[in-house]
Amino acid sequence: MHARVSFEEIRKIAHLARLSFSEEEFARFFQDISDIIAHFEKLNELQLEGVSPTSHISWSDPPMNADEPVEWQGSDLVLQHAPHVEGRYFIVPKVVEKEEKLS
Amino acid sequence: MSLEEFRNFTIRDYHALFARGELSPSVLLEAFFQRIEEVDPLLHAFLFVNRENALERARRLEKEWKGKDSYPPLWGIPVAVKDNICTLGIPTTCGSRILEGFIPPYNATVIERLERAGAIVIGKTNMDEFAMGSSTENSAFGPTRNPFDLNRVPGGSSGGSAAAVAAFEAPVALGSDTGGSVRQPAAFCGIVGLRPTYGRVSRYGLVSFASSLDQIGPMTRTVEDAITLFEVISGKDERDSTCAPYPPFSREEIPPQEDIRTIKIGLPREYFSEGVDPRMVKVITAVLRELEKEGLELVEVSLPHTNYALEAYYIVAPSEASSNLARYDGVLYGMRKGGGQGLQDMYFQTRSFGFGPEVKRRILLGTYSLSSGYYDAYYLKGMKVRTLVRRDFEEAFATCHLLVTPVSPVFPFFLGERTKSPYEMYLADVFTIPSAMAGVPSIAVNCGYEDGLPVGMQIIAGPFREGVLFALARFVEQMLSLPLPFPEIGPERRS
Amino acid sequence: MENVYVTIGLEVHCQLLTRAKMFCRCSTDYIGKTPNTLVCPVCMGLPGALPVLNRKALELAIKTALALQCEILPEVVFHRKNYFYPDLPKGYQISQYDFPIGVRGVLEFALQGVKKRVRIRRVHVEEDAGKLVHEGPDLRGAVSGVDFNRAGIPLVEIVTEPDLRSPEEAKECLVMLRSIVRYLGVSDGNMEEGSLRCDANVSVSLSPEIPGTKVEIKNMNSFRSVFRALSYEVERQTELLRAGKTPVQETRHWDEARQVTVPSRGKEEAEDYRYFPDPDLLPFRILPEMLQEIRATIPELPLQKKERFMREYELPEPEAYILAQDRDLAEFFEACVREFPSPRAVCNFILTEVLKNLNSLNIGIRESKVTPSMLAELLKMVERKEIGISLAKGIFEEMFRTGMGARDVMLKKGISFLTSERDLEKVVREVIEKNPQSVADYLRGKEKALHFLIGQVMRVTKGQASPEVVKNLLLRELSGGE
Repeated sequence: MHARVSFEEIRKIAHLARLSFSEEEFARFFQDISDIIAHFEKLNELQLEGVSPTSHISWSDPPMNADEPVEWQGSDLVLQHAPHVEGRYFIVPKVVEKEEKLS
Repeated sequence: MSLEEFRNFTIRDYHALFARGELSPSVLLEAFFQRIEEVDPLLHAFLFVNRENALERARRLEKEWKGKDSYPPLWGIPVAVKDNICTLGIPTTCGSRILEGFIPPYNATVIERLERAGAIVIGKTNMDEFAMGSSTENSAFGPTRNPFDLNRVPGGSSGGSAAAVAAFEAPVALGSDTGGSVRQPAAFCGIVGLRPTYGRVSRYGLVSFASSLDQIGPMTRTVEDAITLFEVISGKDERDSTCAPYPPFSREEIPPQEDIRTIKIGLPREYFSEGVDPRMVKVITAVLRELEKEGLELVEVSLPHTNYALEAYYIVAPSEASSNLARYDGVLYGMRKGGGQGLQDMYFQTRSFGFGPEVKRRILLGTYSLSSGYYDAYYLKGMKVRTLVRRDFEEAFATCHLLVTPVSPVFPFFLGERTKSPYEMYLADVFTIPSAMAGVPSIAVNCGYEDGLPVGMQIIAGPFREGVLFALARFVEQMLSLPLPFPEIGPERRS
Repeated sequence: MENVYVTIGLEVHCQLLTRAKMFCRCSTDYIGKTPNTLVCPVCMGLPGALPVLNRKALELAIKTALALQCEILPEVVFHRKNYFYPDLPKGYQISQYDFPIGVRGVLEFALQGVKKRVRIRRVHVEEDAGKLVHEGPDLRGAVSGVDFNRAGIPLVEIVTEPDLRSPEEAKECLVMLRSIVRYLGVSDGNMEEGSLRCDANVSVSLSPEIPGTKVEIKNMNSFRSVFRALSYEVERQTELLRAGKTPVQETRHWDEARQVTVPSRGKEEAEDYRYFPDPDLLPFRILPEMLQEIRATIPELPLQKKERFMREYELPEPEAYILAQDRDLAEFFEACVREFPSPRAVCNFILTEVLKNLNSLNIGIRESKVTPSMLAELLKMVERKEIGISLAKGIFEEMFRTGMGARDVMLKKGISFLTSERDLEKVVREVIEKNPQSVADYLRGKEKALHFLIGQVMRVTKGQASPEVVKNLLLRELSGGE
């Protein structure tokens, strides 16, 4: 665990999360985040070797869908309230990369 | 029509009046609308009051029901709904600017179930933005105030629902609880708030904050009403993979009154330490003494990882949230800003302008915890600590049936008192977070007043043991016979 | 020429043939549909919507992994891959990370008769993204439009180890992979329609010890593009290396128009996807019974079929391989042979005339109007020497075009049968009579004259006679005539 968080790291994090800050704001947020992360150090007091992580609280039989299509009638409503629509497309500023971003 | 007459009513009592023709849903609704008009300008519990739709629905219900005998469980009952639960055709903002203008094209499962049971959505209530907060001060639309003292917070994040029920702007409400967001405001406002076993209530239509922790729960004036509401909203849902495949809760799961004295109550020592306001300890201890007098056995237990649960929560929850909130990008719904300089510009401006500071903090925290190189150190660690916290409860429940603790270490604090330090605010949830991390059910019930402010008591049970939970909660409620809240709301009211 | 060491690995995505999407009940039949009609709160990532797994998608992915001889992991776990893009409504893709469906599999294929083996690193399942359009009647100005009809369609991703050693190998590997997924019925495997997509990693080195730089190639939309793009890339890297330079590790895309690879813009730093287990989907244990059930649905696969064709029908390996690549064609072949038990003849005709006609219309055998019985009938006629092979080819083309049987085509075209030798004998004698010079030339030893006479008979009979039979009759007449 890294006790010291770097400015650069948080800048990268902010970029990944698509959040921008003024210099002043960023300094404040950086301070807040560092303080909180410093508290996480406490977890190092614990013996975690061999402890399996809980990623889900689960049951043995999660529901699964049958492979039968059902039509949803509400797509017009979504288009109606979307920020920018032309025809039946949701419009965004032109995307730079020409080819489709594959999965 | 004065609501004062109904202050101690349960849903059954309204139905009795309906049956005798002495009251109708539309008249009852009007009475609540009037109350809202009177007090909400000061309280600000509601973000949207569903005037026309609700009245129309009330009239339709009355028409369709002429002459029939027994009512569906929530027939004609107005319900206030926290604004992170999707309601078809009714604005749903999650207390955030980024969802201003978002009108869901579908109903959450719980709303469908409420309406099938005859309920009427009276309005959407204020909340901390995206359920992140413990005071409702993080709402982009201004805070809600505590009905017992307008200078104090109602708790959060379901502060609006709690205040609405406490101030009797609505008889019952729905809230959501991730780390305490139903229980803590319920305690701060002197009402009942249930956090169900994780997976007992469908999350379909609940705007996600932390998916492995979020649960919708009833917030009511009486334990009886919480039971009724819980029966309606719980049960498997094929649209939610995390919803347990069991039938809805039934009050038959509640052990009979005679068996109450066989309940063994565990008191976790970590929850009664020096950090808790002594006035609160005094009130709760008095209640515990009375329970002992009634014949219930009290034992001391330990939940050794209590003091680590908070940190683990503030790793796990923001991590999930950072991913859940990535969909707010201005493309499909809600607010959009920027874009003149291209796509990335739209993303940055929309999110930076649309999200409030606490949300941004948690997104940053969560992104950091999941990021390459830090996953093991933080997220994985958080999940492991979660396992230890769960084990604590499993072991404790081997020696007792229920745990009793304070809900919050502090009394409802003043507006602005804890907003300087985020971590200070996080500490308000220290007693509600562990049970949420473990996925076990817990309920907050009012157990007295001190200096004019409500004191809440938390009862925690093992997974799917809401029956026993309700049994003790109801017993305490009857034992204490506290008057149900109907505070006078006015600017002169001071603490 | 010094040695060039080429290393290629493929990453293939196939859309699964389910009727509903991967995590919601929307229909997958999106081609040609009005934008944003096959959508719902889940696949559009509306606030509050939650995913529920389509069981069939999981089954088809497991089937694929089994067919590729993968080790199947006991638990299905979904992970979120987080990044921002307009066609990704939730801001993350539900995919799989450290617990894919299957690992350590094998794919075998042949290149010019030589057996090749490529290891399969992993097979996993994930949801497809929506579609971005950059031009259209609705788009004015510097904008792009998003259509979510495709968002949420189930994909199986197959990643090979970098075991391929040439663009040819890569292409053949891809062809076999496509063949397999079509055999299994898990995917259409159609590159032009986008139900099969291929990215590649290519590295070139001038020495076997030193690894090359891995370059990712995207945007190859056909088998031919794959071959051309990889060939171009190998050459490009080789030239750089020979000039003493090192290729940059980057992503490039294939420019079909200019037939070159170009660096992709906008990929300054590797994206950090922050994979973590999706809390909305519970891990799911795959029980042995489920595996058994799925395994039982796997049909005879291409290589097995090829072996069997070689054994049962005594077909030569290359022909058997080609036939086996296409399940429908292989079935057509076998059905035809059942009625006309001359496998070599059927095989030859299929691999020449049938394929020729299918390719001209760019369709598969299933879409053609010709049935195995119809072909069997035609071939029987050839065998009985009722018609010659060249005439049969022409008749087949007409059968293919119209769907009529051989005899009906002949009737329609006014081609009648000359089945009796006696009719033919008459024609032969007439031709001999009318062409004394050629007869004399032949008897003097000029072979060419015989061909001329055969041609004349063929002309009179409008090509209906079997040239063999005509030749024999002529010879008989000419020799007997003395």
